Amino acid sequence: MISVKGLQKKYGNVEVLKSIDCEIKPSEVVCVIGPSGSGKSTFLRCLNLLETITAGSVVINGHDLGNSKLDRVLVRRDVGMVFQQFNLFPHMKVLDNVMIAPIKVAKKSREVTKEKALELLAKVGLSDKADVYPSSLSGGQQQRVAIARALAMDPTVMLFDEPTSALDPETVGDVLAVMKRLAGEGMTMVVVSHEMGFAREVADRVIFMDQGYIVEEGTPADIFDRPTQDRTKAFLSRVL
Amino acid sequence: MGDYAQFLLPLAKGLGMTALLCIISAVGGSIVGLLVGLARASSIGFIRWVSAIYTNLLRGIPLLIILLFTFFALPLLIPGAVFSKLACGAIALTLFVSAYIAEVVRGGLESVPRGQFEAAEALGMNYFLKFRYIIVPQAMRVVVPPWTGIILAMIKDSSLVSVIGFVDLTQAGKIIGTTTMLPLLTFVVVGAIYFVICYPLGKFGRWYEKRLTVSLGRPQAVDLGPASTDLLAEEPLLQVRGEK
Ligand SMILES: Nc1ncnc2c1ncn2[C@@H]1O[C@H](COP(=O)(O)OP(=O)(O)O)[C@@H](O)[C@H]1O
Ligand SMILES: [Mg+2]
Repeated sequence: MISVKGLQKKYGNVEVLKSIDCEIKPSEVVCVIGPSGSGKSTFLRCLNLLETITAGSVVINGHDLGNSKLDRVLVRRDVGMVFQQFNLFPHMKVLDNVMIAPIKVAKKSREVTKEKALELLAKVGLSDKADVYPSSLSGGQQQRVAIARALAMDPTVMLFDEPTSALDPETVGDVLAVMKRLAGEGMTMVVVSHEMGFAREVADRVIFMDQGYIVEEGTPADIFDRPTQDRTKAFLSRVL
Repeated sequence: MGDYAQFLLPLAKGLGMTALLCIISAVGGSIVGLLVGLARASSIGFIRWVSAIYTNLLRGIPLLIILLFTFFALPLLIPGAVFSKLACGAIALTLFVSAYIAEVVRGGLESVPRGQFEAAEALGMNYFLKFRYIIVPQAMRVVVPPWTGIILAMIKDSSLVSVIGFVDLTQAGKIIGTTTMLPLLTFVVVGAIYFVICYPLGKFGRWYEKRLTVSLGRPQAVDLGPASTDLLAEEPLLQVRGEK
């Protein structure tokens, strides 16, 4: 479903991703952990074309992201993204935030989209907030709207970049619960997160990144209980 | 009494011409200014460069010179075409005003957090959809107050078109003042007419600015239904709004 080979990303002369190889299978939930600045966000952003790839290849659902004739819209419809800072559209009500992309990008009818959007809001537990503006919601509520907004495009993969890092502790649980449910429904997910509890419980695989490399990967038990690399051990001892 | 009526007509005609000129230039200048402002924020270096030259050049030349230039140069640049004085004036004012509007638009676009661009792109929006539905509506909040100021200044500066012989409100006043030998009275009337047009526009700008401050402090509170009032009470307002 996602196949990454020798992925390299440079900003000018700074090599942020050095050589990433990684395969992600349908319905797999992969958690990416690692110290700040290790390239986790950059890796995710390479998967939905927010960054251009310097070298190597990324293939998602048969689309080669390095291909110059690539239909970017098609890829992005397939890949949903949830940001650390939510990035909801502040000038639109919650329902419109969820509906705008299906209507304008996927050219779906307003009726069908509205029904779907209300279903999604119900799914993230925010049915009663359809008609308010994002600024009146708590961080956790905004992040759940952001998840609903991404799901509205029927993506086959969801990327989460530290979805709970900007949240008040008491609202983190609701967001993780939604993500857990999504994983249970078989969504393919790549999650950058420091929620070790979530990783342990939900992830099929944990990837530890440092300085632009994948240092170690394995099942949550492998990584958390039996890390083999010193850098992994050092990192875990700091965060756990 | 009959005398006054006789001068009212040319004055009204002059006012009509000023209005026509200003409406065309305001619309034209806003459209061109929006496009140049978007070009200023382009990811393509060459487009940024050309649009920067455009705005810097036009903002560095007095309107009077731009007016004279269009009047004398346009017929040379496009031989055979006949430009009315209205067209010349409107083109000059459009060029002039668009450069200032472009800068304001650029500032407005820069005021929209990067995350908004990225969220729009991640949802599959193309350039047009992203700007049309996400970026421009948010930039508008920042653009409108200075925009009214620019249009206001343009209305007043439009009196300069008399140098190319266009009979606008000011020029009509000059003619009437000479023929009636009542220049002072005539220009008091002309000045009053400009004021009556400009004052409400300035008021609108200030009203919009005020509304902006209010809505930034307590975002969109007006639009919330009664159901959300208790929500506002229990949650701190203005939770992180997307900026880092
Ligand atoms: N646009 C950019 N230009 C230059 N350097 C960048 C840019 N974005 C990220 N970086 C650098 O790339 C490195 C990895 O960043 P990032 O992927 O955000 O790490 P993480 O998400 O793991 O904290 C950091 O050192 C950061 O400074
Ligand atoms: Mg990051």
